[in-house]
Amino acid sequence: MDRGRRVSPGRRRLLQAVSIGVLVAAWELAARAGWVDPLFVPAPSAVAGAFRVIGPEAAGVLGETLGKTLVAYALAVALGVGAGLLIGGVRYLHDVLNPFLVALYAMPKILILPWILLAFGLAATPAVVYGVLQGFFPICLLVAGGVRDIDRTPLLVARSMGATSWQLYCKVVLPAVLPAVLAGMRLGIVFCLLGVLVVEMFGGIRGMGFLLVSLANAFRAPELFAATALVSVLSVGVVLGLERLNRRLGHWR
Amino acid sequence: MRRIVLARIAVLAGLLGGWELWASRRDPLLYVPPSRVWPALGRVLGLDAYPTLVTHFGVTALEVIVAYVLAVGLGLALGFALGLPRHVGEIYEPILSALYAIPSVVWYPSLMLFFGLGPASKIAFGVLLGFFPVVLAVLAGIRSVDPHLLTVARGFGAGPGTCFVKVVLPAITATLLAGLRAGLALCVVGVLVGEILGARRGLGYLINYAYGLFRTADYVALALLALVLVLVIDGAAAWAEGRARRWTEGAA
Repeated sequence: MDRGRRVSPGRRRLLQAVSIGVLVAAWELAARAGWVDPLFVPAPSAVAGAFRVIGPEAAGVLGETLGKTLVAYALAVALGVGAGLLIGGVRYLHDVLNPFLVALYAMPKILILPWILLAFGLAATPAVVYGVLQGFFPICLLVAGGVRDIDRTPLLVARSMGATSWQLYCKVVLPAVLPAVLAGMRLGIVFCLLGVLVVEMFGGIRGMGFLLVSLANAFRAPELFAATALVSVLSVGVVLGLERLNRRLGHWR
Repeated sequence: MRRIVLARIAVLAGLLGGWELWASRRDPLLYVPPSRVWPALGRVLGLDAYPTLVTHFGVTALEVIVAYVLAVGLGLALGFALGLPRHVGEIYEPILSALYAIPSVVWYPSLMLFFGLGPASKIAFGVLLGFFPVVLAVLAGIRSVDPHLLTVARGFGAGPGTCFVKVVLPAITATLLAGLRAGLALCVVGVLVGEILGARRGLGYLINYAYGLFRTADYVALALLALVLVLVIDGAAAWAEGRARRWTEGAA
């Protein structure tokens, strides 16, 4: 409990890597010794081998999924940031619409999924629509909250010095809401990818979600693990990248 | 205040009216205006259309309860195991946060492979989703404990048990309660997602069944029912959170 000195970043990273290495080694050992059924839990070495088997197929399929995710993400960010700036900036709008936004955010979007597939068919459209639906609300709420929380003093100072409302917006408001926008973007990408994957799993005939489900149904555990790891690593990489960008922009401000 | 409430009612009425006008001119198989949802809701709630509704509802409720108990148990255990010893939380919290950044649904096919299509895979998915907010809340809470308070308590001769009960627990209660509430909401979502992606029983299965038969009005009614369930659970959790918070603040 006694925090005292903190662990140095280099040592922390080393300990993290060692822990993960030990975990993977233990897993390999358990699989080799036959403590776990390889039909359900394949050894890490078998998973690594499976990468070569599904690699080319998975790469193509992943590209397709990422394409849909990027379209959904662009739309969700544009709509979410726009709506968030508007709702956060205009008090009356916020007071009237906030309960609706919170309720829609809390609603499990999965309940509308069957209808979206029915209405938009089985091509890329339902995945994009559902991805936007997943990503829009967290981005919008975060940005609206960020606009409402900005410090009013610089606004007053700038106004008393004769700044026009356009200058006010560009020089004071935008830099102040940038952290909230970036936080929304970081959260939004995970939600968008999740939405696209769910649609592909549920009703897709192509894409990474579909590949995952069909590998599970075919009991191809090593390939399933490899594909899951691929999506996971990619997703963590994107989120960490956005976080780093966020920090760098923080320095710049 | 009153004007705002009126405006909210106007927005709601506008949405429902617009939906009614728009939907009633389109394919009735796809677009269900509110006027057709009410009778469907009556049919569903009167158990005419789906006599087994109560059973399916019970299956879902049981899955949520089991998943939540497991998620809280595992989350608290791992959270305290990693958070209480010196420096351990610092090392493993980033790994947990990174795992949390993975779209949870990629795990679902693996869970389906392990646990089959029965309730176990839904429970497992609910646990997986509900577990993270609890663990992360425990770790964040412990990180926020003021080390000076601990030093002072120890200086007055408090042992590790007393320190935990008198210093750590009161300090992490607010964070922990928020995490427990978020975990519950995610447990419900996890179970529903699992059921809709493939099940033989449960509310999600029934929703899928109605949609598969193109009984769109029934589907909307059932989805509304699930939504009410979610809102009631979250409302109850918010109430419990408020009560627990007041109780601990009174005790402190």
